[in-house]
Amino acid sequence: MNRSSNHAPQWGEFLRRNSTYVILLAIVLGFAVLAPEFLTVNNLLTVALQSTLVALAAIGMTLAIITGGIDLSVGSVAALSGALAAGLATRGGLGTYPGLLIGLMAGAGIGLLNAAMIVWGRIPPFVATLASMAIARGLTLVYTQGRPIAGLDRAFTFWGSESLLGVPMPVWVLLVVAVLVHLLLSQTALGLHIYAIGGGEETTRLAGVNVGVVKFCVYVISGATAALSGLILTARLWSAQPNIGVGLELDAIAAAVLGGSSLAGGVGGIPGTLAGAFIIGVLSNGLNLLEVPSYNQQVIKGLVFILAVMLDYFIKQRRAVRSGRVPSTG
Amino acid sequence: MTSSQPVALPMDRRAFVQRFGLAFSFLLLMLALTLLSDRFLTAANLINILRQATINGIVSVGMTMVILTGGIDLSVGSVLALAVTVGASLMKQGQPVGLAVVAALGLGALLGMINGLMITKARIPPFIATLGMLTVARGLTLMYTQGQPITGLPASFRWIGTGVVGGIPVPILLTALVFLAGWVFLSRTRYGAYIYLLGDNPTAARLAGVPTERITVLVYAISGFCAALAGLILVARLDSAQPIIGQGYEFNAIAAVVVGGTSFAGGEGGLGGTLLGALLIETLNNGLNLLNVSPLWEQVVKGVVIALALLLYKAFSPPSR
Repeated sequence: MNRSSNHAPQWGEFLRRNSTYVILLAIVLGFAVLAPEFLTVNNLLTVALQSTLVALAAIGMTLAIITGGIDLSVGSVAALSGALAAGLATRGGLGTYPGLLIGLMAGAGIGLLNAAMIVWGRIPPFVATLASMAIARGLTLVYTQGRPIAGLDRAFTFWGSESLLGVPMPVWVLLVVAVLVHLLLSQTALGLHIYAIGGGEETTRLAGVNVGVVKFCVYVISGATAALSGLILTARLWSAQPNIGVGLELDAIAAAVLGGSSLAGGVGGIPGTLAGAFIIGVLSNGLNLLEVPSYNQQVIKGLVFILAVMLDYFIKQRRAVRSGRVPSTG
Repeated sequence: MTSSQPVALPMDRRAFVQRFGLAFSFLLLMLALTLLSDRFLTAANLINILRQATINGIVSVGMTMVILTGGIDLSVGSVLALAVTVGASLMKQGQPVGLAVVAALGLGALLGMINGLMITKARIPPFIATLGMLTVARGLTLMYTQGQPITGLPASFRWIGTGVVGGIPVPILLTALVFLAGWVFLSRTRYGAYIYLLGDNPTAARLAGVPTERITVLVYAISGFCAALAGLILVARLDSAQPIIGQGYEFNAIAAVVVGGTSFAGGEGGLGGTLLGALLIETLNNGLNLLNVSPLWEQVVKGVVIALALLLYKAFSPPSR
């Protein structure tokens, strides 16, 4: 992945493999030139902190996308987990850590529901997770009665507002989760099966892999990482808000796709997804430093997203044409 | 992509369950609500349900055609917002109402065309292309309005949302017209047949001489047009174009379409199911309201209905793939 070379023919190959990092680097360099305060340790930590919520949800999303699926429920799961944890920890009187644990388990539980609908019900992932997106958001509204839950103790807010060795806790959580899931994908049989399902589900089944079990793992992990995102946001806000995470699924999908995942399945990885999430985070941060009005920022982000995907396609297409293959368009 | 369905018999059973299973569930729901609440089966309440269903219904017509081609349009809510804010501000600037309406509808169709061109010319998958449009069009709406709502629209425009003709509200008449036109287009024209063919098997459609790129651009343009029309009706009713109008409408429309039995794989389904799907969701919400269930439960019920409907379809479909 890091083997670069100055020989002309390999340069294209390098670009093709690392287009996400090249785009991220270009954006970082651009902002470093335009805004002197961008490239400071403090600001970069802020960028990391801001990217954490999308990045965590995008990690689980990446697994779902690699299998050729999708998880639209992540935003609602984040809200449900945050609300349950905060509610049980405060007015429920369970204490902070049991609350956090149940919040996390609720996220995994919605993932279980998703997997059951997809594997046993044979419902396409898009609509199955659309249904659970509505259900989890609805349960959040019912549980909170549409009102925020405040009064979290220091042990809870620690996970959002404190730092360890100068690095914010959410960034530590992201690092640990990213490393674990990356190892799972790249070093285990389960990881291999996840890619295999995306490459061809029927072939994988015929090769003796229990496709259902693999999908259960994928959607449970996606639910759990979405829950972590919600718990951390709740800890950062010092309260559970019933409407957090609206649109998180779209940001997470954007991060995964910017990171090189194909919605057709079989392609993608955690380092790319992190870079994708950081592209989104760096853009917000840099445009803020340049004092671009927030309304214009959204247009710029959308255009960058479309251009990045088009660029990626054209790089891959040129490569494919040269080697005589025609790329499939998921 | 979808494997061929070799036997005719299971197809018939599936078609039967999909067509009449939904209608049967709908009638059962009506019966139950009639028994549970004496306010349900009144003309005023039924018209209320229809009026509630108009906005999502019209958006769902375009969405049905897009999903029939095997695509998806996530941008409808944002396209709706940009189209109506431009239309509303034209009216505020003193332009004739007719011109403003045509401009809004044209803009909706144009944004849809751009979606279609991104998909056909730049080869971006529909999900990604329309996700990009969702972000850009919403951003443009916020830029254009600077986050301020536009209110105080002319009475002649507001008639679209509040008028009554022959005892029936104008929005309901317009929705009926859109469904009728869409149904004729899908089932009685060559282009309609092309849409089904394209969704069923894109490669075969192309080889058979179907102008696949033109059809794709067309369905996304229709989807943008429908979104803009739904937005105009909504704004005329509320007398206010909020810049965040239409957020999340894509998911409501997708819900109506899939509950209506249109397959995500493309090539299978139709507007009759979508109409029933949209009405079923709205009737449930109305029933919960009449039974004094907290509106907070609406989302839960919607999710459960989507899941149950799909499980039902799957249970009665032959094992394919």
